[in-house]
Amino acid sequence: MSAAPAPDAASLLRQHRESLARMPVTMRAFIGMEAEKWPTFFPPEKAYLSALLESLASPAAAPVLAGVARLETESGCRDVKESDPHRLQDATQSLLRRQGLLPRWRHEIDQVFQALQPGIDQALYPADAPRRVVVLLYGQGIAIQRDKLWARFRSIGRRVPLRLENASASEPFLRALFASGAPGTLFPSFGLDPAEAWIVEAGETLHALGTAAAAPATGLSHARLRTYREALARSLYKKVLEGVSGPQELAAYVRELDLAPPEGALLRSDPVMRAFVRDVLLGGNGALLVNNTFVEWSSVQALKRAQPRLLVARFGVRDKMKPFSSLLLFSSPRPTDQVPIVEDPFGSFVDVEQLSYYVWLNAEKSAAYRDKTLYLLLAEGVDEMLALRPHRPDTAGHPPAAAGDLPAATLPEVSSTIAGWLGAAPGPLAAPPIAALAG
Amino acid sequence: MPFLLDRRDVLRGAAALLADVVLPRRTRAAAEATETRAIVVTFGGGVRWEDTFAPEGWPNIPYLVNDLVPQGLFFPEARYDGLTGHFNATGALVTGCLQNVDAYGSEAPTTPTVFECFRKERRLPPEAAWVVASNKSFGLLGGSKLRDWGDPCAANVILPKHFLVQAIRSAVATPAGPGVEDRDALAARMVSALDEGYEGFGWKVHETGREIGKEVRATLAQSLLDYFNDPLVPTSGDELTFFMTKEIMSRLAPPLLLVNFWDIDVAHFGAYSLYLEAIRRTDRLVQGLWQHAQSLPSYRDRTTLFVIPEMGRDGDPSGNGFQNHRSGDESCRRLWLLAVGAGVPHGLVSPRPIRTLDVAPTVARVLGFKMPEGQGRPLSELAF
Repeated sequence: MSAAPAPDAASLLRQHRESLARMPVTMRAFIGMEAEKWPTFFPPEKAYLSALLESLASPAAAPVLAGVARLETESGCRDVKESDPHRLQDATQSLLRRQGLLPRWRHEIDQVFQALQPGIDQALYPADAPRRVVVLLYGQGIAIQRDKLWARFRSIGRRVPLRLENASASEPFLRALFASGAPGTLFPSFGLDPAEAWIVEAGETLHALGTAAAAPATGLSHARLRTYREALARSLYKKVLEGVSGPQELAAYVRELDLAPPEGALLRSDPVMRAFVRDVLLGGNGALLVNNTFVEWSSVQALKRAQPRLLVARFGVRDKMKPFSSLLLFSSPRPTDQVPIVEDPFGSFVDVEQLSYYVWLNAEKSAAYRDKTLYLLLAEGVDEMLALRPHRPDTAGHPPAAAGDLPAATLPEVSSTIAGWLGAAPGPLAAPPIAALAG
Repeated sequence: MPFLLDRRDVLRGAAALLADVVLPRRTRAAAEATETRAIVVTFGGGVRWEDTFAPEGWPNIPYLVNDLVPQGLFFPEARYDGLTGHFNATGALVTGCLQNVDAYGSEAPTTPTVFECFRKERRLPPEAAWVVASNKSFGLLGGSKLRDWGDPCAANVILPKHFLVQAIRSAVATPAGPGVEDRDALAARMVSALDEGYEGFGWKVHETGREIGKEVRATLAQSLLDYFNDPLVPTSGDELTFFMTKEIMSRLAPPLLLVNFWDIDVAHFGAYSLYLEAIRRTDRLVQGLWQHAQSLPSYRDRTTLFVIPEMGRDGDPSGNGFQNHRSGDESCRRLWLLAVGAGVPHGLVSPRPIRTLDVAPTVARVLGFKMPEGQGRPLSELAF
């Protein structure tokens, strides 16, 4: 199977014309709709669609697809004559729904993907595929409870005491970890293309460290996207007040919205990134409003779609939600009546413990990350780190129990460890990597 | 604190406009129609077993664990097998049949509700059956769309937040209203604040065909006024629902009441701490509601309370875990039920698996009316 992506969707579909004609119509509709998204796909998504088509075209796929094909015949889906994939999907889904066959159809589709996915994963992510690093970082201000810190990971991670050496505050901490090279550069020694190194953060401190360099990474900052988020929210709310029947109608409206992040809000801004940001903000319920939800959801989507080799997800302090009664204060609107924004450092800690767990869970679901990724959990100002290396099961297939603490390290040594894991050559002045993690 | 006076002025004006100045006398017909009472509380918005009755969840529900469970009958194995949306899941609770209607409440249930069956068989007035719902898409939950059923015998449905929005709109829409410097700004802010929808942007409110009676409406509007003059101002939609429920119980004493709490659905915002906070609040409000029932002669010793989540939320491995309830996994379906009060054995746990569909026929048995054959069965552990 070739995993090389086609130059464009049309040629990909032409290349697989015959197998598409044989394919169950509901699968064909799905493929057609995915192909339409090609201009907004990241390279891994293009590679996946190509690999999926290769897999579906192989002789081995025929028995796998037989269940779906039978169901389509039974339901009349195969008799639907429609070339537009959206209309084809609507018509077939409607037929299945009317006959109460949707659950069975979902089951059959599940079976197809369960059968094909291992082969696709093997083609796209062989054992020698590049290694990856995910850094989950709690920003300064979050009320860290040391006895509960990284509670979900303690049993599978290795604790590394850190010597912070006057780098307790956010900026020096981040500089020591990610920007210890030339001023204004980020990730100087990791040897990554900007498209392969992603920063997703609640605030913008990390973004600010890299502004002097030309697009040192791909970056999303909830703070920097504030005006864009507000414009999106206003447009949506206006539409809701005008009357909207449900999410489908709202989604259709959203697709027509002509809004884009302002200049400078994204470290790299191209049509694919702009579409990604919009999807993230409108697809994750709280991402538009809650900074840490934005960090988690953006990270999960980046891992799934763009598959960066380095992802730094930096959480922050969430504002408290204003109870609706507080708005009653505006009965006589004066500046002094404004309800101040109050931060919730304690709630934020509870939130980020859960959200960082979800980022890890989602990464581990992907063959791109599973068994290839070093996870580092850090908290600004905290003199310890937790590291999760790929599971190496024992002879009985069980993951190894976490051994004791590793020797203390400095932040530049952590940085070198990241570089070493990613396979970058160490610079002449680089600190040594943490041996137990970098190998 | 000058703003407090302003706030009270606004709300007093709002409530007065709705109250039409004169308060009605208490309606007693409903209270006298039947001896027994049933209150169904949805521990609503979608809550996971692991965050409530699993041992690690106990700190989130101290009132249920320490106070109510020892007084009642607990079913740790309740299950819901339908579509995992709020309207359909709650529709299954009140009809005893799985529902498959519009998830955002634009369609009424397709089979008769407990409210309709109760009122129709007993020929009861509208004030006998109530739905008080934090979820504003529940406007059509009080009755089915069936011919010969529906509005003429449906429950009164009140959506307290929506009710308040209407009050504010009325207040600021007239020059005779309270002294407000910027009426448009106030209206916009109030509507925006109350129009919260945790699943994205708030959907449309689907009005029931039956209007709440003018006198009842006036009574409740006065309740709002009293409420906002209380130093304990509301902090959430469920607090408001709790307050309105108490008012309805005190003033109208309906024998059948569904209370839909929904703050827990704040989980869609992705903040786990807010979700847990909402669970703790719901726990406190449920206990408060039961205490209130015990304080009223018309409810004391003759009321059966059912507390049940309408559905769960996604398990962690299914995606974004607590944030959603769309995977349909086991965590979305594994629930619990607590029954307390009249006819309920004390301090028992029944390991028998039950379904949320069993609630409606059980309520029918408690109140002594018939429901058409559905998918649920009465809980035999209760003494009828």
